Amino acid sequence: MARQLKARSAGFAALILALALLGVAPAVLREYDTQILLRMLLALVLAESWNLLAGYGGLVSLGTSSAVGLGGYVLVGLLNHSILPLPVVILAAALSGAVLAALASPGLLRLRGLYFTVGTLALAEALRLVMINVNQFGGATGLFLNRDPPALGALVWIAVGLLLVTLLVMEFCAHSGVSLLLRAVRDDQDVAAQMGVRPFRVKLAAFAAASALMAAAGGLQALKLGAIEPYGMFGLRWSIDTLAMVVIGGLGTRAGPVIGVVLVMLSGELLADYPEAHLALTGLLMMLAMRFAPRGVAGLLAVLPARWRARTTGA
Amino acid sequence: MAPMIDGGDQGLFLDRPALPSHALIDSLRSNNSGGLKMRRALVTIGLLVSLLLAAAGRAEEIVIGASLPLSGQLASFGAFQRWGYEHAVAEVNHAGGIAIGGKFLPVRLEIRDDKSDANISAGNVENLISRDHAAALLGSCTPALVSAGALVAERHRLPMVTGCDPRRAFTSAHPWKYVWDVFFDEAELAAAPFKALADAHVTTNRKVAILHDNGPDGQVVGGELWPELARTYGLTVVVSTSFPVDNTQFTSIIADAKAKGAEIMLVDAITPQAVAIRKQIATAGYHPRVLVIEKGAEPAQFGGGLGALADGVMVGGYWDSSFPYPGARDLLMAYERETHQRGSQHIADSYAATKVLLAALATAGSVGGEAINATIAKTNATFVVGPVRFDAQHFAPLPIVEVQWQQGRTVVVWPAKAATGKLLFPIP
Amino acid sequence: MSIEAAASSLVVGVLLGGIFSLTALGLSLVLGVMRLVNLAHGEFLVLGAYAGYYLLTVTGIDPLLGLPLIAAAMGLVAAPLYRFLIQPLMGRGVEAPMMTMFGLSIVLQNLYTAAFSADTRSIETGYSALALNLGPVTVGLVYVMGFAISIGIVGLIHLLVSRTAFGRDLRASAQDAGAAAIVGVNVPRVQMLTFALGAACAGAGGTLSGLVNSFTPASGAAYLLNSFAVVVLGGLGSVLGTLLAGITVGILQSLGGVLFGDGYRDLVALLVFLAVLIVRPQGFMAGRG
Repeated sequence: MARQLKARSAGFAALILALALLGVAPAVLREYDTQILLRMLLALVLAESWNLLAGYGGLVSLGTSSAVGLGGYVLVGLLNHSILPLPVVILAAALSGAVLAALASPGLLRLRGLYFTVGTLALAEALRLVMINVNQFGGATGLFLNRDPPALGALVWIAVGLLLVTLLVMEFCAHSGVSLLLRAVRDDQDVAAQMGVRPFRVKLAAFAAASALMAAAGGLQALKLGAIEPYGMFGLRWSIDTLAMVVIGGLGTRAGPVIGVVLVMLSGELLADYPEAHLALTGLLMMLAMRFAPRGVAGLLAVLPARWRARTTGA
Repeated sequence: MAPMIDGGDQGLFLDRPALPSHALIDSLRSNNSGGLKMRRALVTIGLLVSLLLAAAGRAEEIVIGASLPLSGQLASFGAFQRWGYEHAVAEVNHAGGIAIGGKFLPVRLEIRDDKSDANISAGNVENLISRDHAAALLGSCTPALVSAGALVAERHRLPMVTGCDPRRAFTSAHPWKYVWDVFFDEAELAAAPFKALADAHVTTNRKVAILHDNGPDGQVVGGELWPELARTYGLTVVVSTSFPVDNTQFTSIIADAKAKGAEIMLVDAITPQAVAIRKQIATAGYHPRVLVIEKGAEPAQFGGGLGALADGVMVGGYWDSSFPYPGARDLLMAYERETHQRGSQHIADSYAATKVLLAALATAGSVGGEAINATIAKTNATFVVGPVRFDAQHFAPLPIVEVQWQQGRTVVVWPAKAATGKLLFPIP
Repeated sequence: MSIEAAASSLVVGVLLGGIFSLTALGLSLVLGVMRLVNLAHGEFLVLGAYAGYYLLTVTGIDPLLGLPLIAAAMGLVAAPLYRFLIQPLMGRGVEAPMMTMFGLSIVLQNLYTAAFSADTRSIETGYSALALNLGPVTVGLVYVMGFAISIGIVGLIHLLVSRTAFGRDLRASAQDAGAAAIVGVNVPRVQMLTFALGAACAGAGGTLSGLVNSFTPASGAAYLLNSFAVVVLGGLGSVLGTLLAGITVGILQSLGGVLFGDGYRDLVALLVFLAVLIVRPQGFMAGRG
């Protein structure tokens, strides 16, 4: 037990060190690479949150874009029309994501399996159409941030902070009593209810937490861009990319999101001049993962040592 | 102990224990440090690899970057812009390049496709600056895309000269310091059809239907200026609606306009929507006597896609090869000779924008952003689009004429001194 | 808005709705028989539209005449897709096939962009701009033709499903695959053929959509949600239900256009879909057909 505690503390310290390294990296990296770093950090936040929702919670959502877009618009709206400081605004953006989840849950969380998935997709599209049509929120023109966004280095630090929060939330959800609740609800909701778990509340908690983190990431994205419009902020790309990254990396595994994000983004850089080829490759990897590696690359990596051992011991 | 992450064919998720077992809880707990270490290693590896992705060394040339809608719903504009940019750069290189620090350097134009998406536009400009080391930039087309790229340039303090962004949409986006725009003023564009009709002394039932997209310039022209102007000219607006830029069905609004008997229809939409609207007006059996379609009806693709249906459609123009400016005729002839296609006014503002930028580069004799920017501010000369001089808001206005499709070609019908044909009324 | 305008709009809504039923039918059959959420359905529709477009521009064959060809081609392409991509995953739960189809939709959408460019297209024939006067109401000829052909195909499918041996096998597999296998139905083969049939319907529906609307490689998502709205409203696997639901969605869209403006058409359909999904996901005609 003490050994496990030591291992956990060592792991935690290593994590803090790694994040700090990322935070100071912009000082030595080229601008272009810092851009990539920032994108990676945001993608990681989205991937971890989505993994919480879909991998650990069993709620396969195609509605990532609704939280991301909402967070972006809330951030820009508050920065433009209020004197709240940036940290508070980011918190408000996160809160808006949680509120969205709470409002949608009575309807959405009653749906199971594929109906839930399609329901989140419909919600995301409906939100996008509303933002495009309603001129009060900028309509198709969108909104412009009326102040200069922070420097790239500062944005990276904020992203690192958000990632730290995300990883802490994931730690809490994946390695505590909460994880058992999530798993119970995911695997068999009715049986769990019989045993005293309250599925709706568990699902709502996961939904709200994930949506809050996604909304915060959306806020950061808006801060980076300086100008947002509904096609980009509420576009399906967020839902598609996040899902693909996590599935390729390993749905429901701890290392999956990181592996997925790194793989997809690196291949994106290698194929930078052929964006369609990159996206098609991502889709292809997804299909291959479903067929041959349902636990993703993380699953393969975890199984390889055992399979190697089995092969070498002549099993 | 059971493996943490089971591979193989057991479904998408982890094991399904009927009841949580101690073995499971233990296995959950000790997964921790392994996951963290792997995570850290992966991120570091990822960083290193990306660092190692080589960037091209700085070559002895001046790089000008541009993000253009070469595909997607704005592709019709992007194609002409690209030619304008490339033609101007080719001319300068043919003459030996630009003298920087005593040496004549060639200009390399780096163009990326933003697929008519503002986000991609912003990303492209980022890449052009940080990966391709562009010294200066040229803009995309339509306010949303231009603004997205321009904000990036502004943040990096690099000069950008652009066309294809009307005055109000441009100046209301941001108090620009490094971005310069050569285009028309929406107020003049909106008024042009009214003036043209008044000067031609046509009689209609004075009922107007307005249909505009809800992009930045669509809102200004269709949502604010046209209703005001209709009032000024004593016309009644019987229908006024907006639609999303990428809308495909217009049957309700067209049915409404037809039912209310509007003889004048004013539309502001991009080319794919312009084509769809013209078709759906026909299929609704609606025959307005005046049809104005701003923005989308100017490129050759409009006439090409509709054939005879395009005849009579009016659109505001800011350039025609018949204009009395240096090189106007030659520019169009060069385009048609090189591409064997009908030209468009969009070759002119893009060509002129590039010329403005390259002239500033030559005068400044430096690739420093501030130096180029200061020199652009002093631009005061006549280019192929007319006299270019930037006002305090970095905008240089172009004159507006009214153009009409007649038998597959665009003809200038107003004002009289620039006209190359007579106004066709009513539309066939 | 005047009665005439509203009536015109609603008639167009009914006609478009007929085309919606055809486009949704493929989704409904596949969902009903195999519980497979074909998230690439929208991309199948778009492929049908591109097929019609290129058939016309390259060979000059009118897309309406070429419909059987397009449908057959789609079916032939879809069958091996099913056999090699999805069949191995059947029985592993609902997520794996759904994710595979999602991956496929990503691949297809980008294939289209690379092959056909992201430009907006529409299928323009000689009669694309002709209007038909039906009393006080005027509608485009292509809408009427699209409607008629869609209803025809839906009717044929209904006969196929209710009167033929294959249809009987299909219904049996939908009701209880295990029991069907026991009585001798070759369930995997029926499923593959159903998938191919669904793709063929999607292709034909896509061509008709391309005639009345413009499309881009990214149009799939909107088509998918539209089809889902129809399926959820009409009940899984019910052919007649899909027909009625399609027309209903078309009318609702036009109502949205009349009341709020054409930009709200899709939104109205989506909101109705969400409402039905939450209240009664299995549709209002479940248990029939």
